[in-house]
Amino acid sequence: MRNPSLIKEEFLKRWIIALRRCTSLKKNMNILERNKVVKLSADLAMASARNGTTSWSRALIANATRDNDNRILAEQILGPESEILVKRVSTMPFKTCNRRKIRSKRILKRSCSSAIRRVRKTVPRKVLANCIAKRLIQKRTHILKSLVPGGEFMDETTLMEETLDYIAYLRVQVDVMRSCTYC
Amino acid sequence: MSSRRPRQSGTSSRITDDQIIDLVSKLRQLVPEIRNRRSDKVPASKVLQETCNYIRNLHREVDDLSERLSQLLATIDAESAEASIIRSLITQ
Repeated sequence: MRNPSLIKEEFLKRWIIALRRCTSLKKNMNILERNKVVKLSADLAMASARNGTTSWSRALIANATRDNDNRILAEQILGPESEILVKRVSTMPFKTCNRRKIRSKRILKRSCSSAIRRVRKTVPRKVLANCIAKRLIQKRTHILKSLVPGGEFMDETTLMEETLDYIAYLRVQVDVMRSCTYC
Repeated sequence: MSSRRPRQSGTSSRITDDQIIDLVSKLRQLVPEIRNRRSDKVPASKVLQETCNYIRNLHREVDDLSERLSQLLATIDAESAEASIIRSLITQ
């Protein structure tokens, strides 16, 4: 894993450049606009510091540039390299709302729980515990996939690697922002 | 509590024990809560739960900090030393 202070330096440099680009374009922003600018510039600085080498960073940029309201702002923040970055992420799959999947999962869940109630009287406790453990792991993996950007499209191994990288970068982001706010 | 039975089905969609051990050893340095437990006793579901909670906390902190920072920028006082530092950093 990369040296955290190097990552901090990289992030801070990109974030300051991004903020400068935004403030030079629009002098008087209201509080909501400014909030959005600060957050978006921090996220995009973090993602672009990875230079498109990780899946989560590509997904983050992709989500930012897909939303029509933020697209122009995001491209301004990313500056001249935005064209290259956007091209790299344009192949990312689009996050679609899988309502049908959710509904069928609910039906499956209901039928499973009634089956489990029937089975519980005859099955030994150890097997049941394993079953519950597996279910928990499945459920929590699903939650993790929704937290890491681009996670829904990854397989388990990639998800683990991406999670570790993402956490390292999030910590850097928090440290730098905290020291800026409470200097 | 983590399932130690070898998986006959070999589905690639399940997390294997090796991955969990690998993840735990790396997460121990990053996530505070797991650091205090021994790796062989931490179940996979607990690791995942702590990871999710940690990421959620970090997200919340980023939101909080960006809100505070934007408020700070909005109410920049001309004489304040910190404000001038920040201002000199971000405006050119």
